[in-house]
Amino acid sequence: MAISRRQFLGRSGAVAGGIFGASLLGSPLNRNAMAMTMGDRYLVSLYLDGGNDGINTITPVDNGGSGNLRSDYEAARLSGSGGIRLSAGELLVPPGPALVDPNTGAQLGLHPGLYGLGNLYAQGKVAVIQGCGYPDPSLSHDTSSTIWEHADPNRSGMNTGWLGRHLAAHFGPSDIPAVAVRGSIPGEFNQTATSILTVSRLDRFNFPYDSSNGSDSVFRRNALMALSDESLASGQAVQSQVGAADKSTLLAADSYPGLDGTYEDERPAFDQIYGDLGTSSARDLREVAKVIYGVESGVPNVDARYFEVRNGGYDSHSDQGGGSPGGRHYNLHEEVGQALETFYADCADMGVADKLVVLVWSEFSRRILQNDSGTDHGTQGPMFVLGGTVNGGVYGNHPDIAEASLQSGNTVYSQDGSNPYRSTDFRDVYGTIMKHWMNVPHPTVLSDVLPLDVGDPNEFWTAENFDMGFLP
Amino acid sequence: MGDENTALSEADARHLLRRTGFGAKPKEVDKMLSKYPTRGEAADKLLKFKPARFRPGGKDMRARRVSWFKYMLKGKKGLQEKMVLFLHDHFATNNETVRDDLQMANQNRLLRRNCIGDFKQLVKEINLDPAMMDFLDTVRNRKEQPNENYPRELLELFTCGVTDFAGNNNYDQEDIVQIARAFSGWRLGNKDEPFLDENRHDFMSNFPERGPKVIFATTGGFGGGGRAFTTLGEGPTEIEEVIDILFEHTDSDGKNTIARRITRRLLAYFGHGGYATPTPTTIAAVDALVTESGFDANWNLGGLVRAILVSDAFYETAAPAPNGAGTARSVKWPIDYSVTSMRLLGMKVKGKDGRVEGGTGQRIVDHLEDMGQELFDPPSVFGWDWENSWITSRTVLSRAILARDLTVARGRGATSFRPGKLMSLELTDPTEIVDAVTGVLGVTDRISPTERSILIDYLTDEGASASIDLQDEDVVERKLAGLFAVVMQSPAYQLH
Repeated sequence: MAISRRQFLGRSGAVAGGIFGASLLGSPLNRNAMAMTMGDRYLVSLYLDGGNDGINTITPVDNGGSGNLRSDYEAARLSGSGGIRLSAGELLVPPGPALVDPNTGAQLGLHPGLYGLGNLYAQGKVAVIQGCGYPDPSLSHDTSSTIWEHADPNRSGMNTGWLGRHLAAHFGPSDIPAVAVRGSIPGEFNQTATSILTVSRLDRFNFPYDSSNGSDSVFRRNALMALSDESLASGQAVQSQVGAADKSTLLAADSYPGLDGTYEDERPAFDQIYGDLGTSSARDLREVAKVIYGVESGVPNVDARYFEVRNGGYDSHSDQGGGSPGGRHYNLHEEVGQALETFYADCADMGVADKLVVLVWSEFSRRILQNDSGTDHGTQGPMFVLGGTVNGGVYGNHPDIAEASLQSGNTVYSQDGSNPYRSTDFRDVYGTIMKHWMNVPHPTVLSDVLPLDVGDPNEFWTAENFDMGFLP
Repeated sequence: MGDENTALSEADARHLLRRTGFGAKPKEVDKMLSKYPTRGEAADKLLKFKPARFRPGGKDMRARRVSWFKYMLKGKKGLQEKMVLFLHDHFATNNETVRDDLQMANQNRLLRRNCIGDFKQLVKEINLDPAMMDFLDTVRNRKEQPNENYPRELLELFTCGVTDFAGNNNYDQEDIVQIARAFSGWRLGNKDEPFLDENRHDFMSNFPERGPKVIFATTGGFGGGGRAFTTLGEGPTEIEEVIDILFEHTDSDGKNTIARRITRRLLAYFGHGGYATPTPTTIAAVDALVTESGFDANWNLGGLVRAILVSDAFYETAAPAPNGAGTARSVKWPIDYSVTSMRLLGMKVKGKDGRVEGGTGQRIVDHLEDMGQELFDPPSVFGWDWENSWITSRTVLSRAILARDLTVARGRGATSFRPGKLMSLELTDPTEIVDAVTGVLGVTDRISPTERSILIDYLTDEGASASIDLQDEDVVERKLAGLFAVVMQSPAYQLH
C-alpha cells in the first residue's frame, strides 16, 4: 500500500513551517513518493459546465493561407436578430505568441468577453489546444462529461476519475490531497481510496459543536472520530465511505477554516479584487488561493495540491448572444477570463506562478450551425492550459467547419495523420500534464491512468503524444 | 425467497416505514406489525391512498419550498411524497432556469396526482407541462431550426436511457432530430395553456427534403424501416404518437426498454445503489418485478411500487447491524434526513419562512441547500446524484449543523428541542439512556456494539460519570442534547 504524505510528516516529525524540511527529503522512500505526486506544484481544473461553444471562444478572424474557416464560420453563424456571429472586428487578437491555426494559417481571435484571458495570453502564459475530443462523440451532457472526467471515451465502465486514479495510488483514506470548491465531488477525482475536500467557503468550515457548552466539544469530537473509524472499518462499502468522509471532514475542520482569516489579513489587496469582481468564479478561485497560501505558509495538515472549480451556464440552446457585452456567452467568458487573470496575478504575487497549472475544459463544444438564437450540443472544442511555465501559443488544429464536411451539423473527429484537420485526443492533454507537470513516468501514465484504445488508428487513440509541447 | 405472504420482522417493518415515509416511530412500527403483519398487507395499506391535489403555496419560490417541506413534515402521506420526490428527480426541472414559481408548483401537483398512476400518461402530460416546456426549450423549437433539448432528455432521461442493460445504444442522433421536428411549434398562451402554432410546426410539406418523420430505424425492435409517427396525421397528435412508440421500444434483449429502466431506477430508489448498475443480479430482480407487476403493459406506478415493496430485493437493506461486507446500505437524501429528524424529534419549523430555531437560526430551505438538495432546483436536468454523492465534507458539515441547531433550540413550543417528550428523564443508567436515544432516532438495531459503547463513553465524559442526572437541566443541555446530536451526526444515521 502506498504511504501517504501525512504519514511521512508524522514519522519525520515535521512541524508547521517545515513541511519540506531536510529530514523529510532525506528519506529515499519519501523522495520517490514526492516525485510521483508533483512535489510542491499545484494543478487546478476549471470545468465549463454545459458545453462551451468552442468556435465562439476561439474564432477564425480570416481564412488564412490554405483554408476557408472564416467564410465557413460566417455561413454557420448568423448576424442580426438572434444571431451569434462574432465579427472580425470584435474578436480579440492579443499581442504575444502568434494566435494562428497551425493547419490553415488562419488568424484566430478570442471572444471579446475573454479579455482577461487575453491579457494572460499576451504574457505568453496561455496554451490554446484546439479540436479536443474523442471518437464517436456523445452529445449527452452526462455521458460526455463522464467521459472527460473518467478519460473513458470507450465507455468501458471505468468509474474512477483520471486524477482520482492517480491520487488513489498515493494517498490514504483520510488524507486530503485535493479540494473541490463545490458541493459535490467532481468526477475527475472519483475513487474511494483517499479523501477529497468539498468546500464552498472556507469560513463556514468549522465543525458545529455546541458553542454554549464548549467544554463538551472535545468529547463530541472524540466520539465522532471513533464512530468514523468504526464505520471505516465496517467493511460495508457505503458506510465505510461515509466514515471516511466524516473523518476527513473532522480533520479538515481543525485546520481549514483558519485559512480564510489568514488570507484576508495578510492579502487584503487581492481579497478585495476578487470581491469586487463579485462573480462565483472569482470567489471560487479565491478559495483556491486561500488554500495555496495556507500550504505555502506551512499550516499543519493543509497540503492540498489538486483543485477543481466549475462554472455553469454554458448550455446555450437559446439566447446565447454574440460579441456585445451583456450577452449570455459574453458574460460567462468575461467572468472566467477576469477570474483567471486575477487568480494568476495572485499566485504570481505569492511567488507560485511557476508552480501553477490551470486546465480549462468543457464536456463538448456546440453545433456549428446555430439554431434560433443559440446552439445545440456539439463535439470537439478547445482546451486551455495556463501557468507560469506554460509555453504560450496554439496547439492542435482548428476543426473543419465547412458545412459539407459536417455530420448532423457537427465537426467530424479524426485521428488520421494525413487529415490536415486531424483532431486532438483530450487524453493527450491530460497525459502531457501528468508526464510534464505531475512527474508521472510515461509508462505509468499509460498503464495506470490513460490506457490506449484498440481499433482503427485513423479514428481511435492508438498512439499517445504526451509531449504536446505546452509544458517544458 | 420471500413474497407478499412473508411475515414482517421488526427490522423489516422499521425499514418499510422508513423507506416509504420519513422515519419510523416505535408506535408506528408496533401498529404495522400487529395490524398488517405480512409484506403484502403492509404494502397494500401504504398504497391505499388517493393522491392529494396539494400544490405548494406561497408568494415566491422560497415560500413554496417551505410549504412543501411542511407538508412532508406533517407526514400524513409519506409514500405519496416519496414518489413525488422520485418523480421530481426523474423529470428534473429547475426554477433557476424556469423562473416561474407558479409553473413549478403546478408541475409539482401534476407529479403528485400521477404519483401512483399511469406513467405513460404522465410522460404525455410532461410533454406539455409549462415549466418543462420552458426549461427544455420546447417553446423555442420551431420548424426552421428545431431545438433538440427536450427530445434528447425525453429519450435519455425520462424514458429509454442512452444505453440498455447490455450497453447497446437505444437510439441515435437521427431519432432526436426527428422527434425535435414533431415537437416544433408548441407554445404557451397567455394563461400558460399549450397550443400548437402551425406556422412554426414542421409539416412535411414545409421541408420535403427532410423526408417523413421516422424514428428507431436502427434500434428498438421496430424492424428495418423504423416507425413513422404521423399515421394519425400531422400536427398536435404527433407528440402523443411519439410517446406511444417510445413505450413500445424493446432493447437488445428483446425486453421493453422503458419498463426495465424505470423499474431499475425505482428499485435503486427504494432499495440501494447496487441496483443502479445493470449487474446480473439487478437484471434478474428488475425482470422479475416487471413480470410480477405487468408494468410493461399497464404502466401503473402503484402496481410497480407494490411489487418492489414485497420483494426480497427491497428488504436487503433491512438487515440490522453489524454491517459487514455482505450488508446493503443506502444513503438518506437530505430531504429525508431533515424531515425524518424533525419528525422523530417532534419539532416544527417556525413561520412562513420556515426558520429552524436554534444555533445558526437558518431557514430550513437554506439548510437543505447546504446539504445539497434545494427543492425545485435540482442541479440540472439529470436531477440529483444519489447515494455516496450526497456525502461530501461540505454536506457532512451541513447535516451536522442541522443536527446541532435542532438540539440547541431552547424553549417550550413545538419549534424547540424537548427530550422529555421523547423519552423518560428518570433514567440514570448511561446504557439505558443511550438505548432510549437511539430508539427515538430509530437506529437501535443499526449500530454495532462498538458504536454503542462509543456513545456511552461520550455520555459519561469518557467514563468520568457513572450515573447521569437528567433532572439537571445543565446535563440535559450539555450531554443529552449532545448525545442526540452525535447520533444524528454519526455515519450510521446517514444510512437507510
